[in-house]
Amino acid sequence: MASPPAEVMAPATSEASWFCCGPAFGPCSSAGGGACGTCKSASLHCAWPNTSDACYDITRPDKCGDDLLRRTCGHQFFVKHLCGTTEIAVTVRDCGPQTDLWCGEKRCCSGKCATNRLIDFTPAAFTRLGSLSAGIIPVTIRS
Amino acid sequence: MESLGRRKFLTSAVLGSATAVVGATALGSLAPETAFAQEDNWMLEPDAIDPDFAEGRITGIKGTMLMVTGSDRTFHRILLTSGTSVWKLRNTTFDEAEVGDGLYARGARMPDGVLAADAVWLNIVNLQTHIVAINRDVLHLDHHGHRIVGHVVTGTTAAVYNGTPAISDLSLLQVGKHAQVIGAWRPDTNEVDIATVYAAAA
Repeated sequence: MASPPAEVMAPATSEASWFCCGPAFGPCSSAGGGACGTCKSASLHCAWPNTSDACYDITRPDKCGDDLLRRTCGHQFFVKHLCGTTEIAVTVRDCGPQTDLWCGEKRCCSGKCATNRLIDFTPAAFTRLGSLSAGIIPVTIRS
Repeated sequence: MESLGRRKFLTSAVLGSATAVVGATALGSLAPETAFAQEDNWMLEPDAIDPDFAEGRITGIKGTMLMVTGSDRTFHRILLTSGTSVWKLRNTTFDEAEVGDGLYARGARMPDGVLAADAVWLNIVNLQTHIVAINRDVLHLDHHGHRIVGHVVTGTTAAVYNGTPAISDLSLLQVGKHAQVIGAWRPDTNEVDIATVYAAAA
């Protein structure tokens, strides 16, 4: 089992995608309520790769060189598009993304870039920052 | 434009002022990537439903109003204006919407409960998958244990390898590798038309 670092700062920037949870149409209909049980696509929720030991063992952000704080269900982050001005509060309601699958991936806007996938948003949260069809956007994260 | 100002504007547009309903076009570019640039700060109760968002399936279309039943059984009326950005596999127009389509919509909730839509995404899915097989114009995908048939659409489907710019060449996709697929679900099937596939090139 991997040992997450005890107390280090969360990164300032990240790539972010979106995921569905709770009641949903199509292939999302079996998504369920996420690791915390209460995730909903229509709420401002997010997934974080270090919500528990079991979660961390799957997502392994350390393989991409990212040391992330343990943030459990209910924690709130404040996030915005790297090139945007809208900041929203999102609540941790799931484990994810699987960071280690995408090590080194980079997303840029206006000459500014974010590397690695460290957070995912529900469609409601993502669409406050960007377009779902973009798939991935660069964001800043603060607690 | 601040949220309140935007809401007032959309309200006046939707509630039938004599001026043409121009919706979000008056607020700036409607390119999906830039339709969300208003300075704003949003914080809701952790499990509150976002009032300016809707999810569900279209159960009726009356003019430019979509009747949508949410997957949680909530009923939504979603108004599309000439300024609403519409996506269905690609950026398109309102007349592509059909009864049975799934959707996500972002806009401003009017006092009468109608959601005046800035953007609507029809049948959009974002799937974390593994590639099971690659055939001519088809990717067979495993999505959390469920088989998904992904159709390659000539002229539309693009691949993004390691975050590099999108290209039409899918030849670097590999069976057994993971892939993220943005696509349009074919309602009531396990098939999607692929808009973009994200993959890590070998």
